[in-house]
Amino acid sequence: MKTKLKGVSYAKWGYIFSIPFIVTFLIFSLYPTFYTLLLGFTDCVGLNNTEWKFLENPFDNFKTIFENNSFKKSLKNTVLIWVLNFTPQITMALLLSAIFTSHRNEIKGKGFFKVVFYMPNIITAASVAVLFNALFSYPIGPVNDLLVSFGFRDEPYNFLVYKTPSQLIVAFIQFLTWYGNTMIVLISGILGISPDIYEAAEIDGSNGWQTFWKITVPNLKTVLLYTLITSLVGGLNMYDIPKLFNKGGPDGSTLTTSVFIANQAFSGRYLYNRAAAASMILFALISILSAILFWLMRDKDEARIEKEKRDARRAAKKQQKEAIKWQ
Amino acid sequence: MKKVLSMLAAMSMLLAMTSCGPKEDAGTTPDNSTGNSTVDSSESEKPADNGGAKEVLNVWAFTEEVPGMVDKYIELNPEFGEKYEIKKTIIPTTDGEYQPALDQALIAGGDDAPDIYAAEAAFILKYSQGECAKYAAPYEDLGIDVANKISEADIAQYSVDIGTNPDGKVVGLGYQATGGAFIYRRSIANDVFGTDDPATIKDKIGPGWDKFFDAAEELKAKGYAIVSGDGDMWHAVENSSESGWVVDDMLVIDEKREAFMDYSKTLMDNDYHNNTEDWKDAWFADMKGEGETPAFGFFGPAWLINYTMADNCGDDKETAEREGTWGDWAVCEPTVGFFWGGTWLLANKDTQHKEAVGDFIEWVTLDSSETGLQYMWANGTYNPDSPTKDCVASGTVMAKSNGEVDFLGGQNMFDVFVPANQFANGKNLTPYDEKINSHWRDQVRQYTSGQKTKEQAIADFKTAVSDDLAIEAAE
Amino acid sequence: MAVVAGKSSGNVAFKIFGYALCIFLAIISLFPFVIMIVNSTRSTTQIQQHAVSLIPSTYFFKNLDVLLDKSFDPLKGFFNSLIISSCSTICTVYFSTMTAYAVVAYDWKLRKPFFTLIMCVLMIPAQVSSIGFYQFVYKIGLTNNFLALILPSIAAPTVVFFMRQYMIPALPMEILQSARIDGAGEIRIFNQIALPMMKPAMATQAIFAFVTSWNALFLPQILLIDNDKHTLPIMVSQLNGDIYRTEFGAIYLGLFLTVLPVLVIYFLLSKHIIAGVALGGVKG
Repeated sequence: MKTKLKGVSYAKWGYIFSIPFIVTFLIFSLYPTFYTLLLGFTDCVGLNNTEWKFLENPFDNFKTIFENNSFKKSLKNTVLIWVLNFTPQITMALLLSAIFTSHRNEIKGKGFFKVVFYMPNIITAASVAVLFNALFSYPIGPVNDLLVSFGFRDEPYNFLVYKTPSQLIVAFIQFLTWYGNTMIVLISGILGISPDIYEAAEIDGSNGWQTFWKITVPNLKTVLLYTLITSLVGGLNMYDIPKLFNKGGPDGSTLTTSVFIANQAFSGRYLYNRAAAASMILFALISILSAILFWLMRDKDEARIEKEKRDARRAAKKQQKEAIKWQ
Repeated sequence: MKKVLSMLAAMSMLLAMTSCGPKEDAGTTPDNSTGNSTVDSSESEKPADNGGAKEVLNVWAFTEEVPGMVDKYIELNPEFGEKYEIKKTIIPTTDGEYQPALDQALIAGGDDAPDIYAAEAAFILKYSQGECAKYAAPYEDLGIDVANKISEADIAQYSVDIGTNPDGKVVGLGYQATGGAFIYRRSIANDVFGTDDPATIKDKIGPGWDKFFDAAEELKAKGYAIVSGDGDMWHAVENSSESGWVVDDMLVIDEKREAFMDYSKTLMDNDYHNNTEDWKDAWFADMKGEGETPAFGFFGPAWLINYTMADNCGDDKETAEREGTWGDWAVCEPTVGFFWGGTWLLANKDTQHKEAVGDFIEWVTLDSSETGLQYMWANGTYNPDSPTKDCVASGTVMAKSNGEVDFLGGQNMFDVFVPANQFANGKNLTPYDEKINSHWRDQVRQYTSGQKTKEQAIADFKTAVSDDLAIEAAE
Repeated sequence: MAVVAGKSSGNVAFKIFGYALCIFLAIISLFPFVIMIVNSTRSTTQIQQHAVSLIPSTYFFKNLDVLLDKSFDPLKGFFNSLIISSCSTICTVYFSTMTAYAVVAYDWKLRKPFFTLIMCVLMIPAQVSSIGFYQFVYKIGLTNNFLALILPSIAAPTVVFFMRQYMIPALPMEILQSARIDGAGEIRIFNQIALPMMKPAMATQAIFAFVTSWNALFLPQILLIDNDKHTLPIMVSQLNGDIYRTEFGAIYLGLFLTVLPVLVIYFLLSKHIIAGVALGGVKG
């Protein structure tokens, strides 16, 4: 056993490979982010205000925000719209990725469908939101024309002044623009699973359904976690679709927290301090929810790898020692 | 536990790396705003950047209109073009991106800061009287003899009021006049009222909203809607009110604006309108006469005719076919006086080219001679490709211009629009109108669609404004 | 025999269901594109009065004239967009893989806090930090410079997170170990062994990064003031004008032309996603 495992630790390479990220992060995002978050504890209101100071009672802005009805409403809307869009989105994406990666049932035109499903994500969300606003316009508009001419309704329906229809439409747009993206992520995750496992399953005679639940899903766990976390973060940060669909209306029913924050910070009275406090609360909410997800889907794999590595190191040391002894 | 620990470690990493963040910023920002030093140093670099010859004028606008005027100015004054290179920044207002970008550029100052910038009626007050007024140069500092020029050119008072900063100095003026009229269809007028004469029609639809609703009833009896949607009425109501939305930092709902709720409900419950929303498909269709019920008229200034109605009434420029409702329109005095829209021109107080900027701004906003912009604009000679006549700010120019247009069946629209400017009010605006209006219209729609009581809608409106802008309701 | 028969009828049902679903989704997914293409042949007035129509009109060349007649050069915009998007895509994908590799392949003391930090960054609401960002760019004088849009993409927390998640099951430590035994340096191991194994993941994220960067409007619009530096989406947005003078036909045409290159890139890259199957075999 003449393995020349050097006694040096590889740990420094971990630091070296993280340098580009850290440097870029320090230069371009840390200052802006931290600066804006800090404003949550100040009286900074108004454009280019350079004379702000920290509040005597640092949590005043948080108190104001918690008493803000629109903010509370926006949190509810955001979660509601996210659930309404994410449930069908992940179901559809899983289903499609199962169909497209099925070894036994090749679907013809797979490539075509895969491209087409991702296409709504290619156009800017803004254009799609504007398009849907036009689709549902009143009293003349494509959807209303169809409803009336097919006799579903006697009169056109003003979708855009009623709350629930507006929330459903926003959730649907969100679904339409992102399901293809989620599908691609899942497909690439499935393709990362070793085909050998599938072959073994096939030999064991498991059917497609079993294979999917027993092999694909468990092996997809890390990528699923990614999907859940990024959808959660993206969904709770949802901005352009509700903003451009109907400016957060009607009656604040599609006002998401991000739209609320942007409204506070970038227009009207430039309430930077409140906006910063609101984003910290949103940040906390996202972190808590993500932590729960992490915990629910905690990386048993990673824990296993950790353990293996530790064992390997121990073994290596042992070997080295033995090697020394031999010499 | 491990998670908590690593989270703490991450946080402390963050803290360690940024502990000097705010201090550093507090130090650098004032530097920037007072910073002659930074401006100077960038000045000296500039010739190198541009190969020496020309000085750069930055023009910021939300359409090509104002930058186009600079091109025209250069065409007429070639020596100006030899001396200056124009950098145009055009950011549309549609997605709300113009203002943040302009604000940043003004705050940052230096080379890329705008020398000349345009602001629309919806947000001009922010730049002339509000948050950003501190960046605007008084016209007199640009070498413009403002007071005399304004009276010589006979600029409408509302335009001057809006462009006057808190120190009483004029920092912005417009080139258009956007006083509004009632624009109605002659054929419908003939059918219902037996005449299409503006002098008679103006007494049918006004003055005052009671007469307007009497007319609406008459029109309904013959199967017509008086307007397309309540949005048409809103601009007139909004601008005829005594006070603006915000007085002494408190939200005030002017009686006339509150009455709009009832007007809107009346329109809705009696089917006096097609219940359209402005700038939506159905609204445009009503211009062409293709709506559910033919709509009698629209409230609007001259630009609404030129840029919106003329195109949407069936004027096919390709074939020069005049179909639809083209030529079937006339204008008369509105039910109440109002103005709608307009673009104001401002100059950066830190501009290094005060004289040039002043010359250009004067040519656009105050030159009432036949070589001034406004004369060409009013008589359709500004752009030979699209000879549209428009109302301009200078009454002097309007007096010597001819506003006869085919779209209105040969009527001279200036006869109506020039006096209209006198009724417009520049004193009931606030920098927050765009947002407050949108909350207001939203709640009015909640009320008229039967989802809320009037009291509830008003209460929710107050909450929305307070939540969004930290402006509490008075009382 | 019975088992086989049952299986095949199940397969038929599965296939019918699969096709039905795919066709339905394809229709709703293509719908916005059809509207966009049809509207690019219609006049502004036609679009204003009926925003959605399936019947093409005759204004395509008219709209093209409007588009080309403006004070900007779409070809230049295309190349500007291409430079920014390609560079930032490469930066994002390469450096994110590298960062993820640091987190997965090495055991270092600050590894966990570092990963937690990345996750925290990922969760920061984006709306608020943007204002600080462009203030900062103005201060360091990177306006009108593509670098201001390219360099920040080196630190892309979402992509790092994805790469890490993908790497954990897909990158066997044994292979790295054996490469070390063969005497390969760490940088070479990363570039020649780890990177190729990550190809499907990289292709996926490359598409997303490219699309995001290609469509970006807000920051480029604020940071690239110089006309010569404008990207394609900025040019299209200039057609917007203000609400009463918008050239809708030309906008749809512009949007359509903007989307085309992205489609091409997507076609090219999606092949690599599929190529992942073959690579999977290496792992054994």
